[in-house]
Amino acid sequence: MYRLFFTPGWFNGWDIIFDAVGLLITLLIAAYSWRMYRVNGDNKFAYFSFAFLLVGLSFLAKIVTSGILYYTPVRDVAADVLRPVAGQRLELSQLFYRAGFFLQMVTMLGGWLLIFFISQKSRARLRKFHEVTQIALFLYLVLLISVVSNFKYFVFYLTSGVLLGLIVLNYYKNYLNTNRNANAYKVMLSFLFILVGNFFFIFVFLAQSFYVIGELFLLLGFLLLLSTYRKVVRA
Amino acid sequence: MASRRSRLELVFDILLAIQNKGGTIKPTHLMYKSNLSHKLLNNYLEELLGKGMVVVQEEPAKKKKKGLKKVVITEKGLNFLAEFRRMREFTDAFGL
Repeated sequence: MYRLFFTPGWFNGWDIIFDAVGLLITLLIAAYSWRMYRVNGDNKFAYFSFAFLLVGLSFLAKIVTSGILYYTPVRDVAADVLRPVAGQRLELSQLFYRAGFFLQMVTMLGGWLLIFFISQKSRARLRKFHEVTQIALFLYLVLLISVVSNFKYFVFYLTSGVLLGLIVLNYYKNYLNTNRNANAYKVMLSFLFILVGNFFFIFVFLAQSFYVIGELFLLLGFLLLLSTYRKVVRA
Repeated sequence: MASRRSRLELVFDILLAIQNKGGTIKPTHLMYKSNLSHKLLNNYLEELLGKGMVVVQEEPAKKKKKGLKKVVITEKGLNFLAEFRRMREFTDAFGL
């Protein structure tokens, strides 16, 4: 059986619940940002919405792939569906898992990359030709890293960590630029928790419990994002 | 140097000026409060009237004087103000 992560057996299923919570929160933020885009037509809201949609897609890919890995009945159903394509003995089942994890990685990295670009304070952001070509170059790197990460998973978490580190720095600058706005501080803290979670994922090969700690930090980060979102929407 | 206000920010400033005056304001005062030229204010007011965010009320004339016009913010205008504040808070929080 192909397995990308070595998670403690007792935690199987809990991580799916954590990821489902993350998925809901990202969809909420994406939907609100899209609504803002519809109100004022500013592209940055559409990009932000798309970024969170990508992160949500990543959660969805992880939920589906992990669900099939963990639960035999789900695996049987998936096997029946895939049998015509994968062959009677499901020789291509590994390919399915690799495709699932690839989708998870490419969307997550794409989402973080887009959030990094949006949080970057720059004039005429994402309008000039050279900035668009930079994105094309980064997209190529994201794809490359996602392929490599299928064989060495920590490459994914390391890249994700670097992007999140840059996002946290941008949000720290934003916190200072907005006269220490409490919500801006909470957003920075949320991404810091997500970064710490990623840091633990990098070292999962040392101890399986690091995966649990990483997932907990990830959940904490997204719950803090939810709290900020609720505060903003109810303002 | 302060950056130019966007169309949406101008609408917000106009509606905020009316709200700060208790929901009713004279057009001349509105012009000063929102820092707009007479022509530009009229353009925006026409748009806001069309969208039902403000209404213009005319007070009856006293003796030989002309009737006094007043701009009044509507429920829809107040909703827009609340929505814009949320949007600004979202923009500040998420660094957009």
